[in-house]
Amino acid sequence: MRHVPALVQREVSAYFLRPMAYFVLLGFQVIAMLDFFQLVELLSDPRAVLSFSGAMNPMNYYVAGSWMFWVALLIAVPALTMRLIAEERRTGTIEGLMTVPVSETEVVLGKWIGGVVMYLALLLPFAIYLPFLRQFGGYRLEPEPLISLGIGLTTMGMMFVAIGVAFSAATRNQVEAAVGTFVTLLSLLLITVVNQVVGPRAGWAEAVSFLSVYVQLSEFASGRLDLRVVALHLSVTVFALFLAVKVLEGRRES
Amino acid sequence: MIEVEHLSKRYGAVRAVEGVSFSVGRGEIVGLLGPNGAGKSTTMKILTTYLMPTSGRARLAGHDVLDEPLAVRRKVGYLPESVPLYPEMRVREFLRFRSRLKDVPGSRRRAAIDDAIQMTGLEDVAHRVVGNLSKGYKQRVGLADALLSDPDILILDEPTAGLDPIQIGEVRELIRELGKRHTILLSTHILPEVEIVCGRVVIIARGRIALDESLEKLKAGQAVEVEVRGPSDAVRGVLETSPGAGGIRKLAVEGAAAGDPGVCAFEVRARDEQAVEELRELIARRVVQNGWALRRLDLSRSSLEERFVRAVRDAVVVDHEGEAA
Repeated sequence: MRHVPALVQREVSAYFLRPMAYFVLLGFQVIAMLDFFQLVELLSDPRAVLSFSGAMNPMNYYVAGSWMFWVALLIAVPALTMRLIAEERRTGTIEGLMTVPVSETEVVLGKWIGGVVMYLALLLPFAIYLPFLRQFGGYRLEPEPLISLGIGLTTMGMMFVAIGVAFSAATRNQVEAAVGTFVTLLSLLLITVVNQVVGPRAGWAEAVSFLSVYVQLSEFASGRLDLRVVALHLSVTVFALFLAVKVLEGRRES
Repeated sequence: MIEVEHLSKRYGAVRAVEGVSFSVGRGEIVGLLGPNGAGKSTTMKILTTYLMPTSGRARLAGHDVLDEPLAVRRKVGYLPESVPLYPEMRVREFLRFRSRLKDVPGSRRRAAIDDAIQMTGLEDVAHRVVGNLSKGYKQRVGLADALLSDPDILILDEPTAGLDPIQIGEVRELIRELGKRHTILLSTHILPEVEIVCGRVVIIARGRIALDESLEKLKAGQAVEVEVRGPSDAVRGVLETSPGAGGIRKLAVEGAAAGDPGVCAFEVRARDEQAVEELRELIARRVVQNGWALRRLDLSRSSLEERFVRAVRDAVVVDHEGEAA
């Protein structure tokens, strides 16, 4: 595992050396600004019905309930993970990586941690506005829902990036990797449509909304830190990374 | 240092390498020679543990490529044919990253990078971005990378491909220098390169070993080629009776004098293989003494080329027979 820091460092510095990184960051900054604008509107509207548990929670409007946030995330995550391993396979640099004393597990972990760091950097613009809300709006934010939202966003991101890494390992075509990741993430987001198709059946509805990342994030934003969801995110992460390692190991035999 | 036994690699139905066996001793420089698509790169990829063999064994520095791939990787410096580099990194930064992956201890890292840069002549470009370098410099960065951990074994896949003649000369010189301290296996399809750099040649064709011989022995068949303006029979007589001449063969006259009846060409084989240089001078003297114009006097370099062409042709024939059976 001692090679992982070097791999992460290279991954992150390569990412931030590309102008693309800053365009994506700028895009997220604009979305954060628009969402913040809506949040301020909502908070200053005396007729607004606010509740601090459930979907009417203001933090929910800011992040989890914002369709712009989800669209941007569903584009940004595949865009940043598609490169990770597929690019190395396409350009042949994987040959240099797999002929030094570095194991496949180390490579996959390095790529994944690098991806998670980039994902967290994308979300930073959303955090920037919150101190202003407190400073100039005099609006007292409760720390607990923010912490649980932070944990939820992080574990969800770890899962998303791991899925992206698995797709990136499976192909040398970046577009294929991006499309595969995008479709998987979109399914996780829109899985609630299943409820509308099969009708209101109690068992189904519960299972489906448990799997929906949209519902999960709303819950986190409301301050309900459901450890079952955290466990789900982490186990999908481990499984996806395991698949990526196996795909890379299989490459030696082909 | 390198022992290969009955190594085979199939890609689906394609047999890329078929029952290859050879060995390389400590301190040897061995050239893996073969036409394009013969299986040179595949063999090297197996030896560097990038690919697994379908069957057979290979041991490098005492470690099996299947059982202890990481131990093998620690002993080997590898320059792949495609020279994989990260274009956005600077040369020194790239080498530092690679030295961390290769477990060069932190205290020696700086010295190891400096040595590699100095040996490959990269001082002037050490702070430039790899993606902006010329092909020749990229090749040298790849070579510097292979040298970083000061490995016992160097495996170089076409180290001079894509270089200009001056760079080729420099790289060959460097490889010869490295051969004093490292065991080197290099691949090429350039025949003179093997003669200049290597101590032994392994010719591989159609995935099989077609020839495995020391260069000294291959050179032993060397002869003198001479082209003279003079009566053919008389010239032949003089050359045949030269002391040290072992055999003579008429050659077709090529080049400017082709078709000129007054010009003849012969290949004279030396009886004592060490004495070919003396024979060369003697022939020059005797031709001039007879008043003939000496148009060309060469050491015959065709020996390796002939063996190569013959080996490759034979391999193809065997292969067809194999398929017919």
